[in-house]
Amino acid sequence: MTAAPDRTGKRDLWICWWTAPVFYLLFGLIFVLLTRVMPPPRPSMSTAQIGAFFAEHRTTIQIGFALLIVVIAGSAVLSGLVAYQMKRMSVQPVFAYGYIATLAVGAVPGCLLCAISFLTATFRPDRDPHQIAMLYDVALLSFVGSLGCFAAQYLILAIAILLDKNKIFPTWFAYVSIWQIVTELLAAPVFIFKHGPFAWNGAIAFYEGTLLFGVYISCFIPLLRKAIQQQPSERLPA
Amino acid sequence: MPALNVQRISLWISLGFGAVMLVAFVAFPGFFPPMSPRMSADQVAAFYRDHQSAIRFSMITFNFCSVMLMPLYMVVVYQMKRMATPTQVFAYSYLSAVVSGATLFALADLFWLIAAFRPERDPNLTMLLNDLAWITFVTPVGMLIGQNLCLALGIFFDSRPRPIFPRWVAVVSVVTALAMAPSAAAVAVRTGPLAWNGVVSFWLRTGAYAVFLAVLFFAARSAINQEERDEASDALEPMEAAGAAV
Repeated sequence: MTAAPDRTGKRDLWICWWTAPVFYLLFGLIFVLLTRVMPPPRPSMSTAQIGAFFAEHRTTIQIGFALLIVVIAGSAVLSGLVAYQMKRMSVQPVFAYGYIATLAVGAVPGCLLCAISFLTATFRPDRDPHQIAMLYDVALLSFVGSLGCFAAQYLILAIAILLDKNKIFPTWFAYVSIWQIVTELLAAPVFIFKHGPFAWNGAIAFYEGTLLFGVYISCFIPLLRKAIQQQPSERLPA
Repeated sequence: MPALNVQRISLWISLGFGAVMLVAFVAFPGFFPPMSPRMSADQVAAFYRDHQSAIRFSMITFNFCSVMLMPLYMVVVYQMKRMATPTQVFAYSYLSAVVSGATLFALADLFWLIAAFRPERDPNLTMLLNDLAWITFVTPVGMLIGQNLCLALGIFFDSRPRPIFPRWVAVVSVVTALAMAPSAAAVAVRTGPLAWNGVVSFWLRTGAYAVFLAVLFFAARSAINQEERDEASDALEPMEAAGAAV
Protein backbone atom coordinates (compact mmCIF):
# COMPACT_ATOMS: atom_id res chain seq x y z
CA MET A 1 0.00 0.00 0.00
CA THR A 2 1.43 3.36 -1.01
CA ALA A 3 1.01 6.49 1.05
CA ALA A 4 1.95 8.77 -1.85
CA PRO A 5 -0.81 11.16 -2.93
CA ASP A 6 -2.58 9.57 -5.83
CA ARG A 7 -5.44 11.40 -7.48
CA THR A 8 -6.74 8.42 -9.42
CA GLY A 9 -6.86 6.50 -6.15
CA LYS A 10 -9.60 8.82 -4.89
CA ARG A 11 -11.55 9.34 -8.06
CA ASP A 12 -14.80 8.14 -6.48
CA LEU A 13 -14.41 10.76 -3.75
CA TRP A 14 -13.73 13.43 -6.33
CA ILE A 15 -16.81 12.49 -8.33
CA CYS A 16 -18.86 12.84 -5.14
CA TRP A 17 -17.18 16.10 -4.26
CA TRP A 18 -17.90 17.65 -7.67
CA THR A 19 -21.55 16.82 -7.12
CA ALA A 20 -21.58 19.48 -4.38
CA PRO A 21 -20.94 22.67 -6.40
CA VAL A 22 -23.05 21.35 -9.30
CA PHE A 23 -25.94 20.35 -7.02
CA TYR A 24 -26.00 23.56 -5.01
CA LEU A 25 -25.74 25.65 -8.17
CA LEU A 26 -28.75 23.81 -9.59
CA PHE A 27 -30.47 24.07 -6.21
CA GLY A 28 -30.07 27.86 -6.29
CA LEU A 29 -31.18 28.07 -9.90
CA ILE A 30 -34.26 25.95 -9.19
CA PHE A 31 -35.38 27.49 -5.89
CA VAL A 32 -34.48 31.12 -6.54
CA LEU A 33 -34.86 31.76 -10.27
CA LEU A 34 -37.31 29.13 -11.48
CA THR A 35 -39.76 28.10 -8.78
CA ARG A 36 -39.69 31.32 -6.68
CA VAL A 37 -39.62 29.37 -3.43
CA MET A 38 -36.59 31.39 -2.30
CA PRO A 39 -37.12 34.04 -1.14
CA PRO A 40 -40.55 32.65 -0.30
CA PRO A 41 -43.75 34.41 -1.27
CA ARG A 42 -45.78 35.78 1.63
CA PRO A 43 -47.74 33.43 3.94
CA SER A 44 -50.33 36.19 4.26
CA MET A 45 -51.40 36.06 0.59
CA SER A 46 -55.11 35.65 -0.07
CA THR A 47 -56.42 32.59 -1.87
CA ALA A 48 -56.81 34.67 -5.02
CA GLN A 49 -53.25 35.98 -4.76
CA ILE A 50 -51.91 32.45 -4.32
CA GLY A 51 -53.81 31.42 -7.46
CA ALA A 52 -52.29 34.37 -9.32
CA PHE A 53 -48.82 33.41 -8.04
CA PHE A 54 -49.13 29.91 -9.49
CA ALA A 55 -50.66 31.21 -12.72
CA GLU A 56 -47.80 33.65 -13.21
CA HIS A 57 -44.96 31.22 -12.45
CA ARG A 58 -46.53 27.97 -13.67
CA THR A 59 -44.07 27.19 -16.46
CA THR A 60 -40.94 27.97 -14.49
CA ILE A 61 -42.23 26.05 -11.45
CA GLN A 62 -42.80 23.02 -13.67
CA ILE A 63 -39.37 23.30 -15.34
CA GLY A 64 -37.61 23.92 -12.04
CA PHE A 65 -39.18 21.14 -10.02
CA ALA A 66 -39.07 18.66 -12.92
CA LEU A 67 -35.32 19.30 -12.90
CA LEU A 68 -35.13 18.97 -9.12
CA ILE A 69 -36.86 15.59 -9.00
CA VAL A 70 -34.30 14.27 -11.50
CA VAL A 71 -31.16 15.61 -9.79
CA ILE A 72 -32.29 15.30 -6.15
CA ALA A 73 -30.00 12.33 -5.51
CA GLY A 74 -27.10 14.79 -5.56
CA SER A 75 -28.03 15.29 -1.90
CA ALA A 76 -27.74 11.53 -1.29
CA VAL A 77 -24.33 11.41 -2.98
CA LEU A 78 -23.15 14.24 -0.76
CA SER A 79 -24.41 12.71 2.46
CA GLY A 80 -22.50 9.56 1.43
CA LEU A 81 -19.35 11.64 1.05
CA VAL A 82 -19.77 13.33 4.43
CA ALA A 83 -20.56 10.00 6.10
CA TYR A 84 -17.42 8.52 4.54
CA GLN A 85 -15.31 11.38 5.92
CA MET A 86 -16.98 10.93 9.31
CA LYS A 87 -15.95 7.27 9.25
CA ARG A 88 -12.35 8.43 8.95
CA MET A 89 -12.71 10.30 12.24
CA SER A 90 -11.46 8.80 15.47
CA VAL A 91 -15.06 8.51 16.70
CA GLN A 92 -17.10 5.34 16.29
CA PRO A 93 -19.06 5.13 13.01
CA VAL A 94 -22.40 5.60 14.81
CA PHE A 95 -22.45 9.29 13.84
CA ALA A 96 -21.65 8.53 10.21
CA TYR A 97 -24.64 6.19 10.01
CA GLY A 98 -26.77 8.72 11.85
CA TYR A 99 -25.80 11.37 9.30
CA ILE A 100 -26.93 9.20 6.36
CA ALA A 101 -30.16 8.29 8.12
CA THR A 102 -31.24 11.80 9.13
CA LEU A 103 -30.63 13.25 5.67
CA ALA A 104 -32.32 10.33 3.93
CA VAL A 105 -35.39 11.18 6.03
CA GLY A 106 -34.99 14.93 5.47
CA ALA A 107 -34.92 14.72 1.68
CA VAL A 108 -38.60 13.79 1.48
CA PRO A 109 -40.41 16.24 3.82
CA GLY A 110 -37.67 18.89 3.61
CA CYS A 111 -37.38 19.10 -0.16
CA LEU A 112 -39.38 16.65 -2.30
CA LEU A 113 -42.74 17.27 -0.62
CA CYS A 114 -42.37 20.96 -1.51
CA ALA A 115 -41.78 20.01 -5.15
CA ILE A 116 -44.66 17.53 -5.20
CA SER A 117 -47.06 20.08 -3.70
CA PHE A 118 -46.10 22.87 -6.10
CA LEU A 119 -46.27 20.48 -9.04
CA THR A 120 -49.69 19.22 -7.96
CA ALA A 121 -50.86 22.83 -7.63
CA THR A 122 -49.63 23.75 -11.13
CA PHE A 123 -50.82 20.48 -12.68
CA ARG A 124 -54.42 21.69 -12.85
CA PRO A 125 -54.72 25.48 -12.88
CA ASP A 126 -58.52 25.03 -12.86
CA ARG A 127 -58.42 23.25 -9.48
CA ASP A 128 -60.48 24.66 -6.60
CA PRO A 129 -58.51 27.75 -5.42
CA HIS A 130 -58.77 26.63 -1.79
CA GLN A 131 -57.04 23.38 -2.63
CA ILE A 132 -54.30 25.29 -4.43
CA ALA A 133 -53.90 27.52 -1.38
CA MET A 134 -53.57 24.44 0.83
CA LEU A 135 -50.89 22.95 -1.46
CA TYR A 136 -49.07 26.27 -1.19
CA ASP A 137 -49.03 25.96 2.60
CA VAL A 138 -47.96 22.30 2.42
CA ALA A 139 -45.04 23.26 0.16
CA LEU A 140 -43.74 26.26 2.07
CA LEU A 141 -44.24 24.85 5.57
CA SER A 142 -42.56 21.57 4.68
CA PHE A 143 -39.67 23.32 2.94
CA VAL A 144 -38.96 25.99 5.56
CA GLY A 145 -40.36 24.11 8.54
CA SER A 146 -38.75 20.65 8.32
CA LEU A 147 -36.55 21.36 11.29
CA GLY A 148 -35.68 18.17 13.07
CA CYS A 149 -34.11 16.09 10.32
CA PHE A 150 -31.66 18.86 9.56
CA ALA A 151 -31.05 19.86 13.18
CA ALA A 152 -30.23 16.22 13.98
CA GLN A 153 -27.76 16.12 11.10
CA TYR A 154 -26.02 19.33 12.25
CA LEU A 155 -25.88 18.08 15.84
CA ILE A 156 -24.34 14.74 14.86
CA LEU A 157 -21.79 16.44 12.63
CA ALA A 158 -20.85 19.03 15.27
CA ILE A 159 -20.33 16.47 18.05
CA ALA A 160 -18.34 14.22 15.71
CA ILE A 161 -16.02 17.09 14.74
CA LEU A 162 -15.51 18.12 18.38
CA LEU A 163 -14.64 14.58 19.47
CA ASP A 164 -12.53 13.69 16.43
CA LYS A 165 -8.81 13.41 17.16
CA ASN A 166 -7.91 12.92 13.48
CA LYS A 167 -9.03 16.51 12.72
CA ILE A 168 -10.79 15.63 9.49
CA PHE A 169 -12.63 18.98 9.79
CA PRO A 170 -11.41 21.99 11.83
CA THR A 171 -12.98 22.55 15.23
CA TRP A 172 -14.41 25.96 14.27
CA PHE A 173 -16.62 24.25 11.71
CA ALA A 174 -18.36 22.38 14.54
CA TYR A 175 -19.52 25.78 15.82
CA VAL A 176 -20.74 26.79 12.36
CA SER A 177 -22.72 23.56 12.37
CA ILE A 178 -24.10 24.29 15.86
CA TRP A 179 -25.27 27.69 14.61
CA GLN A 180 -27.27 25.84 11.99
CA ILE A 181 -29.15 24.08 14.81
CA VAL A 182 -29.96 27.49 16.24
CA THR A 183 -31.33 28.66 12.88
CA GLU A 184 -33.51 25.55 12.66
CA LEU A 185 -34.88 26.40 16.11
CA LEU A 186 -35.49 29.99 15.06
CA ALA A 187 -37.52 28.72 12.11
CA ALA A 188 -39.90 26.83 14.42
CA PRO A 189 -42.35 29.77 14.69
CA VAL A 190 -43.13 29.57 10.93
CA PHE A 191 -45.94 27.24 11.98
CA ILE A 192 -47.51 30.05 13.99
CA PHE A 193 -46.84 33.43 12.35
CA LYS A 194 -48.14 34.79 9.06
CA HIS A 195 -46.41 38.16 9.42
CA GLY A 196 -43.16 39.54 10.73
CA PRO A 197 -39.65 38.20 11.26
CA PHE A 198 -40.77 34.71 12.32
CA ALA A 199 -43.08 34.08 9.35
CA TRP A 200 -41.71 31.71 6.68
CA ASN A 201 -40.59 34.68 4.59
CA GLY A 202 -39.42 36.65 7.64
CA ALA A 203 -36.10 38.29 8.43
CA ILE A 204 -35.21 35.68 11.04
CA ALA A 205 -36.98 32.52 9.93
CA PHE A 206 -35.92 32.87 6.30
CA TYR A 207 -33.20 35.48 5.66
CA GLU A 208 -31.07 34.84 8.72
CA GLY A 209 -31.38 31.09 8.24
CA THR A 210 -30.57 31.21 4.54
CA LEU A 211 -27.62 33.55 5.07
CA LEU A 212 -26.14 31.24 7.70
CA PHE A 213 -26.79 28.22 5.50
CA GLY A 214 -24.89 30.04 2.76
CA VAL A 215 -21.97 30.53 5.17
CA TYR A 216 -22.19 26.90 6.25
CA ILE A 217 -22.22 25.42 2.76
CA SER A 218 -19.54 27.74 1.38
CA CYS A 219 -17.27 26.61 4.25
CA PHE A 220 -18.24 22.95 4.01
CA ILE A 221 -17.58 22.40 0.29
CA PRO A 222 -13.93 23.65 0.45
CA LEU A 223 -13.40 21.77 3.74
CA LEU A 224 -14.58 18.55 2.13
CA ARG A 225 -12.16 19.21 -0.72
CA LYS A 226 -9.32 19.73 1.73
CA ALA A 227 -10.25 16.59 3.65
CA ILE A 228 -10.08 14.53 0.44
CA GLN A 229 -6.77 16.12 -0.59
CA GLN A 230 -5.19 15.45 2.78
CA GLN A 231 -6.23 11.87 3.20
CA PRO A 232 -3.73 9.24 2.13
CA SER A 233 -4.83 7.20 -0.83
CA GLU A 234 -5.91 3.82 0.40
CA ARG A 235 -7.97 0.86 -0.51
CA LEU A 236 -10.96 -0.24 1.49
CA PRO A 237 -10.56 1.68 4.74
CA ALA A 238 -11.87 -0.13 7.78
CA MET B 1 -20.70 -18.28 8.17
CA PRO B 2 -23.74 -16.47 9.58
CA ALA B 3 -23.16 -13.30 7.50
CA LEU B 4 -23.70 -15.18 4.27
CA ASN B 5 -26.85 -16.82 5.55
CA VAL B 6 -28.29 -13.40 6.34
CA GLN B 7 -27.61 -12.30 2.79
CA ARG B 8 -29.45 -15.30 1.37
CA ILE B 9 -32.38 -14.72 3.76
CA SER B 10 -32.44 -11.08 2.58
CA LEU B 11 -32.56 -12.12 -1.07
CA TRP B 12 -35.40 -14.57 -0.49
CA ILE B 13 -37.40 -12.05 1.55
CA SER B 14 -37.18 -9.57 -1.29
CA LEU B 15 -37.90 -12.16 -3.97
CA GLY B 16 -40.96 -13.44 -2.10
CA PHE B 17 -42.43 -10.03 -1.45
CA GLY B 18 -41.41 -8.85 -4.92
CA ALA B 19 -43.50 -11.66 -6.38
CA VAL B 20 -46.47 -10.65 -4.22
CA MET B 21 -46.01 -7.07 -5.44
CA LEU B 22 -46.37 -8.28 -9.02
CA VAL B 23 -49.78 -9.62 -8.01
CA ALA B 24 -50.62 -6.28 -6.38
CA PHE B 25 -49.55 -4.49 -9.55
CA VAL B 26 -51.77 -6.65 -11.77
CA ALA B 27 -54.64 -6.31 -9.27
CA PHE B 28 -54.71 -2.50 -9.32
CA PRO B 29 -57.44 -1.52 -11.75
CA GLY B 30 -55.81 1.89 -12.16
CA PHE B 31 -52.79 0.36 -13.93
CA PHE B 32 -54.67 -1.56 -16.69
CA PRO B 33 -54.79 0.82 -18.46
CA PRO B 34 -53.06 3.42 -16.28
CA MET B 35 -55.53 6.13 -15.25
CA SER B 36 -55.46 9.11 -17.54
CA PRO B 37 -54.57 12.50 -16.06
CA ARG B 38 -57.37 13.86 -18.26
CA MET B 39 -60.14 12.08 -16.35
CA SER B 40 -62.63 14.49 -14.84
CA ALA B 41 -63.11 14.76 -11.08
CA ASP B 42 -66.37 12.82 -11.37
CA GLN B 43 -64.70 10.06 -13.38
CA VAL B 44 -61.91 9.80 -10.80
CA ALA B 45 -64.43 9.66 -7.96
CA ALA B 46 -66.41 6.98 -9.83
CA PHE B 47 -63.22 4.96 -10.28
CA TYR B 48 -62.60 4.88 -6.52
CA ARG B 49 -66.27 4.05 -5.88
CA ASP B 50 -66.45 1.26 -8.46
CA HIS B 51 -63.12 -0.40 -7.65
CA GLN B 52 -62.80 0.23 -3.93
CA SER B 53 -62.04 -3.40 -2.99
CA ALA B 54 -59.46 -3.97 -5.72
CA ILE B 55 -57.75 -0.66 -4.94
CA ARG B 56 -57.61 -1.50 -1.25
CA PHE B 57 -56.36 -5.03 -1.88
CA SER B 58 -53.63 -3.81 -4.22
CA MET B 59 -52.45 -0.82 -2.26
CA ILE B 60 -52.56 -2.48 1.17
CA THR B 61 -50.47 -5.29 -0.36
CA PHE B 62 -48.02 -2.75 -1.79
CA ASN B 63 -48.00 -0.93 1.55
CA PHE B 64 -46.97 -4.12 3.34
CA CYS B 65 -44.54 -5.47 0.74
CA SER B 66 -42.75 -2.59 -0.95
CA VAL B 67 -40.22 -1.84 1.76
CA MET B 68 -39.49 -5.58 1.92
CA LEU B 69 -37.21 -4.87 -1.05
CA MET B 70 -34.90 -3.14 1.41
CA PRO B 71 -33.09 -6.37 2.38
CA LEU B 72 -32.13 -6.85 -1.30
CA TYR B 73 -30.85 -3.27 -1.50
CA MET B 74 -28.85 -3.82 1.67
CA VAL B 75 -27.21 -6.94 0.20
CA VAL B 76 -26.16 -4.63 -2.64
CA VAL B 77 -24.80 -2.08 -0.11
CA TYR B 78 -22.81 -4.82 1.62
CA GLN B 79 -21.47 -6.16 -1.69
CA MET B 80 -20.61 -2.61 -2.82
CA LYS B 81 -18.55 -2.26 0.36
CA ARG B 82 -16.62 -5.38 -0.68
CA MET B 83 -15.78 -3.92 -4.09
CA ALA B 84 -12.14 -2.97 -4.69
CA THR B 85 -13.10 0.65 -5.29
CA PRO B 86 -10.79 3.43 -4.06
CA THR B 87 -13.15 4.02 -1.12
CA GLN B 88 -16.59 2.84 0.00
CA VAL B 89 -18.27 6.17 -0.55
CA PHE B 90 -20.69 5.01 -3.25
CA ALA B 91 -22.10 2.36 -0.92
CA TYR B 92 -23.10 5.08 1.54
CA SER B 93 -24.56 7.31 -1.17
CA TYR B 94 -26.46 4.33 -2.56
CA LEU B 95 -27.89 3.57 0.88
CA SER B 96 -29.08 7.14 1.28
CA ALA B 97 -30.74 7.25 -2.16
CA VAL B 98 -32.44 3.88 -1.62
CA VAL B 99 -34.00 5.00 1.67
CA SER B 100 -35.42 8.23 0.23
CA GLY B 101 -36.67 6.40 -2.88
CA ALA B 102 -38.55 3.82 -0.83
CA THR B 103 -40.08 6.58 1.33
CA LEU B 104 -41.52 8.23 -1.78
CA PHE B 105 -43.23 5.03 -2.85
CA ALA B 106 -44.67 4.55 0.65
CA LEU B 107 -46.07 8.09 0.44
CA ALA B 108 -47.69 7.53 -2.98
CA ASP B 109 -49.27 4.31 -1.70
CA LEU B 110 -50.83 6.20 1.22
CA PHE B 111 -52.38 8.80 -1.10
CA TRP B 112 -54.10 6.04 -3.08
CA LEU B 113 -55.41 4.41 0.10
CA ILE B 114 -56.61 7.72 1.56
CA ALA B 115 -58.49 8.44 -1.67
CA ALA B 116 -60.14 5.00 -1.48
CA PHE B 117 -60.97 5.40 2.22
CA ARG B 118 -64.01 7.64 1.58
CA PRO B 119 -65.05 7.34 -2.06
CA GLU B 120 -68.11 9.49 -1.25
CA ARG B 121 -65.80 12.43 -0.57
CA ASP B 122 -66.11 15.61 -2.66
CA PRO B 123 -64.86 14.43 -6.11
CA ASN B 124 -62.49 17.40 -6.27
CA LEU B 125 -60.74 16.21 -3.11
CA THR B 126 -60.56 12.65 -4.43
CA MET B 127 -58.98 14.01 -7.59
CA LEU B 128 -56.46 15.97 -5.51
CA LEU B 129 -55.44 12.81 -3.63
CA ASN B 130 -55.32 10.89 -6.91
CA ASP B 131 -53.07 13.57 -8.46
CA LEU B 132 -50.79 13.46 -5.42
CA ALA B 133 -50.59 9.67 -5.65
CA TRP B 134 -49.76 9.59 -9.36
CA ILE B 135 -47.33 12.51 -9.26
CA THR B 136 -45.53 11.04 -6.23
CA PHE B 137 -45.43 7.55 -7.78
CA VAL B 138 -44.39 8.35 -11.35
CA THR B 139 -42.37 11.54 -11.41
CA PRO B 140 -39.72 11.82 -8.63
CA VAL B 141 -37.26 9.47 -10.35
CA GLY B 142 -34.13 11.24 -9.07
CA MET B 143 -33.46 8.94 -6.13
CA LEU B 144 -33.79 5.89 -8.40
CA ILE B 145 -31.48 7.45 -10.97
CA GLY B 146 -28.99 8.36 -8.23
CA GLN B 147 -28.91 4.87 -6.74
CA ASN B 148 -28.40 3.28 -10.16
CA LEU B 149 -25.58 5.68 -11.05
CA CYS B 150 -23.82 5.08 -7.71
CA LEU B 151 -24.08 1.33 -8.26
CA ALA B 152 -22.80 1.65 -11.84
CA LEU B 153 -19.83 3.79 -10.80
CA GLY B 154 -18.98 1.35 -8.04
CA ILE B 155 -19.01 -1.53 -10.52
CA PHE B 156 -16.89 0.38 -13.06
CA PHE B 157 -14.31 1.30 -10.40
CA ASP B 158 -14.17 -2.20 -8.91
CA SER B 159 -10.61 -3.27 -9.70
CA ARG B 160 -10.92 -6.86 -8.54
CA PRO B 161 -9.73 -9.30 -11.22
CA ARG B 162 -13.18 -10.79 -10.93
CA PRO B 163 -15.52 -7.84 -10.10
CA ILE B 164 -18.21 -8.32 -7.43
CA PHE B 165 -20.86 -7.48 -10.03
CA PRO B 166 -20.02 -8.03 -13.73
CA ARG B 167 -19.59 -4.85 -15.76
CA TRP B 168 -22.74 -5.46 -17.79
CA VAL B 169 -24.79 -4.94 -14.63
CA ALA B 170 -23.40 -1.39 -14.56
CA VAL B 171 -24.52 -0.91 -18.16
CA VAL B 172 -28.02 -2.19 -17.36
CA SER B 173 -28.08 0.09 -14.33
CA VAL B 174 -27.24 3.20 -16.38
CA VAL B 175 -29.66 2.26 -19.17
CA THR B 176 -32.42 1.80 -16.57
CA ALA B 177 -31.64 5.23 -15.11
CA LEU B 178 -31.86 6.79 -18.58
CA ALA B 179 -35.14 4.98 -19.29
CA MET B 180 -36.70 6.35 -16.09
CA ALA B 181 -35.49 9.94 -16.40
CA PRO B 182 -38.15 11.15 -18.91
CA SER B 183 -40.95 10.34 -16.41
CA ALA B 184 -40.22 13.63 -14.63
CA ALA B 185 -41.88 15.36 -17.59
CA ALA B 186 -45.22 13.91 -16.46
CA VAL B 187 -45.47 16.80 -14.00
CA ALA B 188 -46.27 19.12 -16.88
CA VAL B 189 -47.62 16.90 -19.67
CA ARG B 190 -51.12 15.47 -19.70
CA THR B 191 -51.19 13.66 -23.06
CA GLY B 192 -48.97 11.39 -25.11
CA PRO B 193 -46.08 9.11 -24.12
CA LEU B 194 -44.74 11.46 -21.42
CA ALA B 195 -48.02 11.81 -19.51
CA TRP B 196 -48.12 9.80 -16.28
CA ASN B 197 -50.15 7.10 -18.06
CA GLY B 198 -47.95 7.23 -21.17
CA VAL B 199 -45.83 4.55 -22.79
CA VAL B 200 -42.61 6.25 -21.67
CA SER B 201 -43.52 7.72 -18.29
CA PHE B 202 -45.48 4.73 -17.06
CA TRP B 203 -44.68 1.54 -18.97
CA LEU B 204 -41.03 2.15 -19.84
CA ARG B 205 -40.26 3.50 -16.36
CA THR B 206 -42.04 0.73 -14.43
CA GLY B 207 -40.95 -2.03 -16.80
CA ALA B 208 -37.33 -0.95 -16.88
CA TYR B 209 -37.12 -0.82 -13.09
CA ALA B 210 -38.82 -4.21 -12.69
CA VAL B 211 -36.34 -5.80 -15.12
CA PHE B 212 -33.49 -4.03 -13.34
CA LEU B 213 -34.62 -5.42 -9.97
CA ALA B 214 -34.56 -8.93 -11.44
CA VAL B 215 -31.03 -8.32 -12.74
CA LEU B 216 -30.03 -6.98 -9.33
CA PHE B 217 -31.40 -10.10 -7.64
CA PHE B 218 -29.37 -12.47 -9.83
CA ALA B 219 -26.26 -10.29 -9.67
CA ALA B 220 -26.49 -10.20 -5.87
CA ARG B 221 -27.03 -13.95 -5.75
CA SER B 222 -23.95 -14.71 -7.82
CA ALA B 223 -21.93 -12.21 -5.75
CA ILE B 224 -22.92 -14.14 -2.62
CA ASN B 225 -21.97 -17.45 -4.27
CA GLN B 226 -18.61 -16.02 -5.27
CA GLU B 227 -18.03 -14.68 -1.76
CA GLU B 228 -18.65 -18.17 -0.37
CA ARG B 229 -16.23 -19.74 -2.87
CA ASP B 230 -13.60 -17.12 -2.04
CA GLU B 231 -13.97 -17.73 1.68
CA ALA B 232 -13.74 -21.49 1.17
CA SER B 233 -10.52 -21.15 -0.85
CA ASP B 234 -9.12 -18.64 1.68
CA ALA B 235 -9.72 -21.21 4.38
CA LEU B 236 -7.93 -23.85 2.29
CA GLU B 237 -4.88 -21.77 1.43
CA PRO B 238 -3.15 -21.83 4.85
CA MET B 239 -3.58 -25.60 4.89
CA GLU B 240 -2.06 -25.91 1.43
CA ALA B 241 0.76 -23.61 2.43
CA ALA B 242 1.33 -25.75 5.51
CA GLY B 243 1.25 -28.87 3.35
CA ALA B 244 3.82 -27.37 0.96
CA ALA B 245 6.11 -26.51 3.86
CA VAL B 246 6.19 -30.07 5.07
